[in-house]
Amino acid sequence: MTALLEARGVSAAYGATPALDGVDAVFGRGELVAILGENGSGKSTFLKVIARIVPARAGDVFLEGRPLDGFPRRATARRIAYLPQSTDLVFPIRCLDLVLQGRAPHARGFSADSAEDRDRAVAAMRACDVEALAERDASALSGGETRRVFLARALAQEAEIWLLDEPTSGLDPRHRLEFLELVARVRADRETTVLLVTHEIDLAGEIADRVVLLRRGRALAEGSPEETLTPDRLREAFGVESRIVTDDRGRRRIVPFAPSR
Amino acid sequence: MKARRAAGLTGAIALLAIAVVFGLLAGGVRLSPADLMRGVGPSGETARLVASLRAPRVALSALVGCCLAVAGAALQALLKNPLADPFLLGTSGGAATGAAIAAVAGLSPLVSPAAAFGGAVLSSVAVAALARRGGRLDLQRLLLAGLIANAFFSAVLLAVFSVASGQTARTMLFWMMGSLADATASKVLALAPYVAAGFAVLLAFAGRLNLFAVGEENAAALGVDVERSKRIVFLASSLLTGAAVAFAGIIGFVGLLVPHAVRAAVGNDQRTLFPVSAIAGAALLVAADAVSRAAFAPAELPVGAVTAAIGAPVFAWLLLRNP
Repeated sequence: MTALLEARGVSAAYGATPALDGVDAVFGRGELVAILGENGSGKSTFLKVIARIVPARAGDVFLEGRPLDGFPRRATARRIAYLPQSTDLVFPIRCLDLVLQGRAPHARGFSADSAEDRDRAVAAMRACDVEALAERDASALSGGETRRVFLARALAQEAEIWLLDEPTSGLDPRHRLEFLELVARVRADRETTVLLVTHEIDLAGEIADRVVLLRRGRALAEGSPEETLTPDRLREAFGVESRIVTDDRGRRRIVPFAPSR
Repeated sequence: MKARRAAGLTGAIALLAIAVVFGLLAGGVRLSPADLMRGVGPSGETARLVASLRAPRVALSALVGCCLAVAGAALQALLKNPLADPFLLGTSGGAATGAAIAAVAGLSPLVSPAAAFGGAVLSSVAVAALARRGGRLDLQRLLLAGLIANAFFSAVLLAVFSVASGQTARTMLFWMMGSLADATASKVLALAPYVAAGFAVLLAFAGRLNLFAVGEENAAALGVDVERSKRIVFLASSLLTGAAVAFAGIIGFVGLLVPHAVRAAVGNDQRTLFPVSAIAGAALLVAADAVSRAAFAPAELPVGAVTAAIGAPVFAWLLLRNP
């Protein structure tokens, strides 16, 4: 069986600054894989290479066994949706128009405007509980609302792979949980593959099927949360000590603490 | 979107119609609407004045205004920068320098659009290279790079001007100050294909530019070939700018003002913004040229002075609003 998505020896750099250095990783259909690592470990760059935002200097990403470069950009954009960590909107744009952009890879001249596009965009907004925001200016939304609107866009895009770049950063606990529940809900009936970049170790342990642990542009470990999120690995990846505890519901929790304590 | 586009187009066409009437009437010989109606006969003095002088001038103003406004709108979306404008970014200066050097070198006036286009392309490439930091165009650096480019091109133009003589010096002055006074029907016909070509390309890229307006990474993630699109849009807006400068010299602020006003009215969908800006840009420059003729008639103000008098305060206001 070929994996849905596979990275083989992927390297990338920004000018002379290396960001990824030969990363191998495999992603199966319907998996939720957490990509974990400290700041500057290359996790966001890894998503950007898969989203074809940043070119790979070496190695390749394969979609169903074919290198991404072998597909037209528009073809991979129909299958892979990217949710940025933050967007700095200079010009005003209605939320509905932002969600409609998800239809762009499906439309002639990237110009999505048909009644069908509109229906799909509205349905996606409804599924993400942001239908009421349709006419609002997207630059005036809260962090939680923005993430939901972008998730609606990924739905409208009908992509089978979602690349989520730190989707919970900057959210308060309630909005963080609501967003994660929303992701779980809308992907449940679609067998969506999710690559979730985060530096929240405990979150990765809780929701991921598998974890890819990055350190300085290299894959340090790949496997189930139990295999990868061990005190030794975490010390290596983050330079922190950690305790594995079991909470009162019997769930495995990871509690990191500073090495000096 | 369709309703907004229809409303925007209707409004812009109405403005253009008013500007055209004003443009035909204003000037050293002031005409009344009645003169215009009466004079449109085969023998009338008025008819000759209108047909040989004012109509070509109004038409040239309209085309030049259209070029500058659409180039500005496209650059603003491409660079995700509301302050982008062919004049502020030094593209117009590069175009004028290219055209002036060709003229001083004694090349035929027919190549001046090509020389202006070359200057515009070189200038935008240089400005973009200067403004690049860590692989992306930096907003502040872009404005600084435009400032540097403008200073450099003014220096070159002034140097060439001071060694040029007679007719060449007069031509140089025309490029430096911007003027629509030498309009002829043949110039209008020569400019039209450049406008059509540049506008058609940019309109075809309007959907992609909507994605750029949210960010370059956004466009890439949605399947746009970013580098190729950037090159094509830069070339098309340089073509429009070069053509405008070759026939009318440097006229600032139209590319900044018009897209802003139009965006406020119809929103930031480039598929609507470009056509409405094209017509509104035509209206603005026809009106500005009419003001330049009428304000101190029979003396004429440089039309660039009129657009700058409106544009500078608006630019200041934009700077204050976009920290």
